[in-house]
Amino acid sequence: MVHTFKCLDRFFALDVESGSVFEIDELTKELIDLQGAPLDNAKEPFSCYSKKEIEDAQGEIQELIDQKILFTPEGKHNEPKYNGIVKALCLNISHNCSLRCEYCFADGGSYNDKRRNMDKSVAFAAIDFLIARSGSRRNLEVDFFGGEPLLNIDVVKATVEYARNKEKQFNKNFRFTITTNAYKLDDDDIDFFNREMYNVVLSIDGRKEVHNRVRKTANGEDSFDIILNNARRFREKRGDKQYYIRGTFTALNKDFSIDALYLNDMGFDQISLEPVVLPSSHRLAIHEEDVPELVEQYEILAREYIERRKTDKWFNFFHFMIDIAGGPCETKRLVGCGAGNEYLAVAPNGNIYPCHQFDGKSDYIIGNVVSGEFDDTLPKKFACANLTTKPECLKCWAKYYCSGGCAANSVNFCGDINKPYTITCALMKKRVECAIAIKAIEGNL
Amino acid sequence: MKHIKVIAKSTICREQGTGCGECQSSCQSACKTSCTVGNQSCEQKKINNVFKESK
Repeated sequence: MVHTFKCLDRFFALDVESGSVFEIDELTKELIDLQGAPLDNAKEPFSCYSKKEIEDAQGEIQELIDQKILFTPEGKHNEPKYNGIVKALCLNISHNCSLRCEYCFADGGSYNDKRRNMDKSVAFAAIDFLIARSGSRRNLEVDFFGGEPLLNIDVVKATVEYARNKEKQFNKNFRFTITTNAYKLDDDDIDFFNREMYNVVLSIDGRKEVHNRVRKTANGEDSFDIILNNARRFREKRGDKQYYIRGTFTALNKDFSIDALYLNDMGFDQISLEPVVLPSSHRLAIHEEDVPELVEQYEILAREYIERRKTDKWFNFFHFMIDIAGGPCETKRLVGCGAGNEYLAVAPNGNIYPCHQFDGKSDYIIGNVVSGEFDDTLPKKFACANLTTKPECLKCWAKYYCSGGCAANSVNFCGDINKPYTITCALMKKRVECAIAIKAIEGNL
Repeated sequence: MKHIKVIAKSTICREQGTGCGECQSSCQSACKTSCTVGNQSCEQKKINNVFKESK
């Protein structure tokens, strides 16, 4: 399968099975798009090219086919198997939040539970569970999530210390990350993050009015000014360590490229903006008919992105950072995030779920880190649901970049873990196209 | 070549013995609602690069 496309006024081809990427001219695009169908020189679009031009381009295409980097057939996959290993935990360290974001999938942080924090004993049991289940994996990940982790920061700190003390004994390397709304972020927290957190994700949605419209405090007040001030202080002290300013765009700010650039104007150089995922009846939900406008926004953003990266406003946009010269192995591309299998979430009561988005759904309890119960029925089901079991995804040219999409979105919105949530598919495809075009234009492979 | 410029060649590693699982979970990496794996890095390649640089 070969995907050809135009992006940023240039033409490209992606050989899906080999991952080879080419910049091509328009004639070559038309020839590739024939996909073996007979060529009629007398008809559009070929009538405007000379016979020699067409033969030259055909010759180049054939050369790449002979090198097995164009029209590469789909080979046999190294099919992923369930091995029971867990390498990453999302600790929902607090089922409480200082904000009440209108689009929150976790019902304002509570996950439809009573508002409570995770006890130290539960967090420690989660670390023990992870070590015990991780087999020979050395790199283990723990993300402090919520709700708002800063509302239970003492337990976060104690858990990090507890895990660090176990690293040597078990030959493990913990990579901690934290996702925070930054509303209560103080200098002590920042220093702690900079000492211990491999990655920090701070949530800001972009422009003040965009953010304040949907990210109110628990008392219904605006949160933007306080959060921006805290995030900028954090950025100043973070140096070159990994972090992201992560925003959500909704039906109310479909012009989200402005928000990404605004965040860059505010001094941030690592930015991620994600489409909201909500039932279609929600006033903030993105619908199929919004997709063309959103796709155009990625192109607008990509143009400005290239320009700014030549200046002192250089920044990274998460979805434009696709590694087209390398990236992960095939196995990773088939299994994706590993939710429900090698990546699990733990609620404050110790219950284990396939990922943070399943927290509170009684049908999705896998076990409990405190009681030690663990039923591998769901992990086996999730492990089996990979790219090779998703017929619609197998036909898609972007399959090796998204791995068949988010399992939680598939379950929540399509009722089937093997069915892709198509709104995000369209956006993913455009982001991959932009990422390829940007890499080709910047020439920094 | 006049009509085609090769940007990247055969980038999807299908070798046996891959899938060591040492790389970061994609959902953990930044966004928590996205499944992009294309921008993930291979941990083995990182280790090899560091090893090469230190030699």
